[in-house]
Parts: sequence; C-alpha cells; structure tokens
Amino acid sequence: MTAHTTHHHVHTHELSKTDPRVKLLAAKIKKENHKPDALIEILHTAQNAFGYLPKEVLIYIAQELKLPPSRVFSTVTFYHFFSLKSKGEHTCLVCTGTACYVKGAQALLNKIESQFSLKPGQVTPDNKLGVAVARCIGACGLAPAVVIDNEVQGKVTADDLINSINGKIATI
Amino acid sequence: MNKIPVIIDDKSFEVDPHKTILEVCRELDIEILTMCHLKGLTDIGACRLCLVEVEGINKLLSACTTKVAANMVIKTQTERIKKYQRITTELFFADRNHVCAVCVSNGKCELQNLGYKVELDRIRYPHLFPQCEVDTSHPWYVMDHNRCIMCTRCVRVCNEVEGAHNWDVMNRGHQVRIISDFNTPWGESSTCTSCGKCLHACPTGAIWPKAIVQGQLEKNPGMVNELVERRKMKL
Repeated sequence: MTAHTTHHHVHTHELSKTDPRVKLLAAKIKKENHKPDALIEILHTAQNAFGYLPKEVLIYIAQELKLPPSRVFSTVTFYHFFSLKSKGEHTCLVCTGTACYVKGAQALLNKIESQFSLKPGQVTPDNKLGVAVARCIGACGLAPAVVIDNEVQGKVTADDLINSINGKIATI
Repeated sequence: MNKIPVIIDDKSFEVDPHKTILEVCRELDIEILTMCHLKGLTDIGACRLCLVEVEGINKLLSACTTKVAANMVIKTQTERIKKYQRITTELFFADRNHVCAVCVSNGKCELQNLGYKVELDRIRYPHLFPQCEVDTSHPWYVMDHNRCIMCTRCVRVCNEVEGAHNWDVMNRGHQVRIISDFNTPWGESSTCTSCGKCLHACPTGAIWPKAIVQGQLEKNPGMVNELVERRKMKL
C-alpha cells in the first residue's frame, strides 16, 4: 500500500455541498490553488466559518491540499487560535492580566459561574455561550476588560457583564 | 574540493567545507553526544545535546545544524558543555516515565547509554509523571508514549524515507505527543504502511514490536542511512 492509495480509506462524514460554510471554505481553497503552503490561511477561514474545526472539515482540508492528516492535526493543535471543540455561538473572554486581575476579573468569573454554571474553557450544554480567559489583551487602561463576541468592553461590573451577555444570547 | 582549516579542541584539522560540525567531528572520531540526530535524516537541532562552543560566539551552537567555516575554533569538551549535557539528560528522564528495569530496550537503549555517558547518578528535577497512553492498536507494533523523548526521528523517517507521513507532533510544551493521522489509534491509521522504519529509528523503547520481552529488543538505526545511501546508487 502506498500513501496515495490509502487516502481513500479516510471515512468522510459527508460535508453538505449546499452548506454556505462549506461553500466559503471550498472557494478559499480554490483561491489558494489547493497549495499546501496555504494551510494556515485555509484553517483560519474554516475556523471563522464553523467557529471550530470539526474532524470532517480537517479531513476535507487534508484531502483537498493533499497533506498528510497528521500534518494538519499538528498545525491545528500548535496554534491556540484553532479549536477542535465548539467555543459556543457567543463567547465571553475575560482578561485576567495583572491590571484586570487587580480590578476584579475574578469577581467577574465568579458571577459568570454562579449565573451560567460555566468555568473558563467551558460551553453551555445548548452551545449558546462559551467562557474563556486571556492572560492580557493589552487593554489595561480599561481594566477590568472583557471581550464579548469580538467586542471589547472596559471597566465592566459583574452586573453590566451579565446584562451584555444576556443581550447577546437573546439576539442569536 | 578545497579543504578549510579549523581548530577543534586545540588541534588543527583540514576539513571539507559544506559539512556540519557534527559530520566533521564524527569523521575525526571526536565524540559528540546526540539524540535527535540520525544519519540519513534531516537534522533539526532539537535535543541540544550536541552543543559546542565556537570562539567569537557567546551562545552554544548545535553541531548538527551548524556548518564549519574557515578558521573556526570549536570546543567540544568544556565544563560549560558538560554541564548542559547533564541538565539535558536529567530533563529527558524527568519529563516522562522512564523505567529501565521493565523496558524492552533495557541494555540497548540510546537514552540509557546517554545516562551512563554523562554519569547520571541522580536527577535534580522533580519527575513530572505524566499520564501517557500506550497505543497497542497496531497488529505488530506498540507505541508507548511513556518512553518517548520527542526526538521526532520516527516522524522524519516516516516522512523522508518511507514517504507515508503517518507520524507528526501535536500540541506544544509538556503536552506534546507523537500522533498518527488525526490523533487516531495507530492501528486505524490511513497512512501507515506498517514498514517498521520508525521502530528502528526510535532511540528508546517507545516503539517496539509485539512479541518481544523485556531487554530483548534489537534495533538497527543504521538501516535508515543504508537505505538512503542505496537509493543514491546508480544501477
């Protein structure tokens, strides 16, 4: 058996050709001419489209770029930007850098835990909300800072935070 | 080809340019310790055992990835180098769960030999005792991550010589692990050709054939270079 023939043995949970996220990914791969060196850019597109990198997507990318599966998996697990698990439809990133920590980041995390039963790195069972921490997002003047769905909010109180999160979840 | 003059450990030599310090030293029978180097594979300078001092450069350089240059003054046996070799060896042992007494490689292990070489009598760092998997899913071979030192010789031989690229490395820091495919059990890999070259390339008892008992493992890492050289021969 050679490496070329064995690629067909990979079981693909069929990606739906009509799924707009798959179309976006296919277009990106075409734009990059199926070049294996474009792996990181293509993974970026997939991560942004799906919110994480499901195994079927990794198989698809490996086949399209003719890259060994282990090389793709190695790249995905090396960079923190990529995630193999869903981070949640909405995300709340609490900065726990020194300034934010002093200004009460822990109180924010405690409030989130009591309100949504979520610890950093966890996602609600309905996949609506995920919570994460960052060491420092570089917005120390805004301490304590959080990032809700890529939107930075500074000098937040625990109650503000719960209100903004509830607002985001309600809007879908 | 014109030879160039270098000084190694206070002795003058005329050596081939375009060769690495390690290649030159091996040819001159000057001992340099290595772990991630395997003749026939690309050198990556990962294990940091082959560090040498080069006059005029403050930091230590890895001999396997540094080319010789004219009038280079190289030192391979200084106290500073010996100190680092010792530290590196201790860290190898502290990082995973190396228990020679119950290992298939006992007596024939490159890591064990390295321990003897640097006269390792104790390990000053706390053992991490990580929870590592033993993958027995392959019909013929076993991958025991407890004994892996992340030299990546298996990764390189699989990619460069066999061309299968079953192996690669996932995660980073202390979480690094050798993986096959998408962290798939080895036996279910779609790329592995079961050629067994990784087994011979592995310096420890991390990859070994089933039906082998403690201390009975015979590996032939030299076969990798034999293969590479034979492929260059014109028939």
